[in-house]
Amino acid sequence: MKFGIEFVPREAYWKIMYYVIQAEKGGFSNLWITDHFNNRNVYATLAAASIYTNRMTLGPGVTNPYMVNPVFTAQAVATLEEMAPGRVVLGIGAGDKTTLDTVGVEMRAPLVAIQESIEIIRGMLNGETVSYQGEVFRTAGAKFLFKTGKIPVYVGAQGPKMLALAGRIGDGVLINACHPRDVEYAVSCVKEGVKQAGRKLGEVDVAVYTAFSVHQDLKKANKAALPPVSFIVAGCPPQLLERHGISVEKAREIKEALKANDWGRAFSEVTPEMIDAFSVCGTPEMCTERIAELLKSGITQFVVGSPIGHNVREAIDIVSYEIMPHFKK
Amino acid sequence: MIGLVTVSAWQPLSDKLVDLILTTKNDEKMPGGLARSILHLWQQDSLASKPGLAVLLEAAIKLEPERTMNILSELQLRALESKIKEISP
Repeated sequence: MKFGIEFVPREAYWKIMYYVIQAEKGGFSNLWITDHFNNRNVYATLAAASIYTNRMTLGPGVTNPYMVNPVFTAQAVATLEEMAPGRVVLGIGAGDKTTLDTVGVEMRAPLVAIQESIEIIRGMLNGETVSYQGEVFRTAGAKFLFKTGKIPVYVGAQGPKMLALAGRIGDGVLINACHPRDVEYAVSCVKEGVKQAGRKLGEVDVAVYTAFSVHQDLKKANKAALPPVSFIVAGCPPQLLERHGISVEKAREIKEALKANDWGRAFSEVTPEMIDAFSVCGTPEMCTERIAELLKSGITQFVVGSPIGHNVREAIDIVSYEIMPHFKK
Repeated sequence: MIGLVTVSAWQPLSDKLVDLILTTKNDEKMPGGLARSILHLWQQDSLASKPGLAVLLEAAIKLEPERTMNILSELQLRALESKIKEISP
């Protein structure tokens, strides 16, 4: 199993690059950089990472076709491929509705939009002249004036239909889940898509993209996990909350607190059950145990995602030298 | 100035300065060239060497002067502490 790591470029580029270099030294094989308009630009960050690394595979995790037209996404990853030949992947998903609403962009027909954008991107990367008449996207003779290589496409997915689409057309899937029950269900949906397309599951890199927090002191690990878990709970569909025995009313209260920028109230409402359901969090031993459980579902990549830990530098070392060795057999 | 630091203190000083630099809120005070030097030396595993400590110390003083002096005091690097005080404006 491979280990990937995700960074949110909300800090100065040189801090992120310090962690990126550290992660490569520590044995992480994949680097994912998030794409949010309110943080540093994903491709500028990836370009820097391509220079400061030699081995890691890297790509946006994930971009979306609403904020960035697929033609420009193809151009960005193709340019990156020139900087890091054979090391670039593309993660693409439907995006976050709240973020899209902020900039007045409609999330139209997500399944169709992802399928169409991948077709356009692959055509462009193959050097074709792409004339495409889709339901969401259209091109009329779009073509690069430079050559590029093949770039694997990962579909970011959470719901059953998107997961199945990832199984049908993705080179990989980035499953947005943390609990073994959710991951097992997600992998079964990917398998369904793989079957529909007459493919084999081995053709798809099944990556689980987690909210991760590790520290020797459980309280510190939990504290670092509160912000991402509160946001996940606030945006969670009721069925998923119920599957984990989490009160929908409680989730609504957290959402309201976040909306009011009352972080203290929002974080204080997060329960241990929520942390268990929506993050991989705890001491190194607890995290190792959880990863081992997730591995049984058939995942091929475990992505250590934000917040990573109370102290990011320490947490990267814990994963590299205390957790990863358990899975290097 | 790093000559004032005993070799046995290089690693702990490097670790503490790196932590300080990574946790500072004064990101905008970091000069671009200095950031690139730090990253280059980090790639070479040389942040606990003389050139590594020199760039870390320079950055730490620019970003967090007070916290830097506290680190030197904590590690009992009196000679370095005095030298910095002497040349500081």
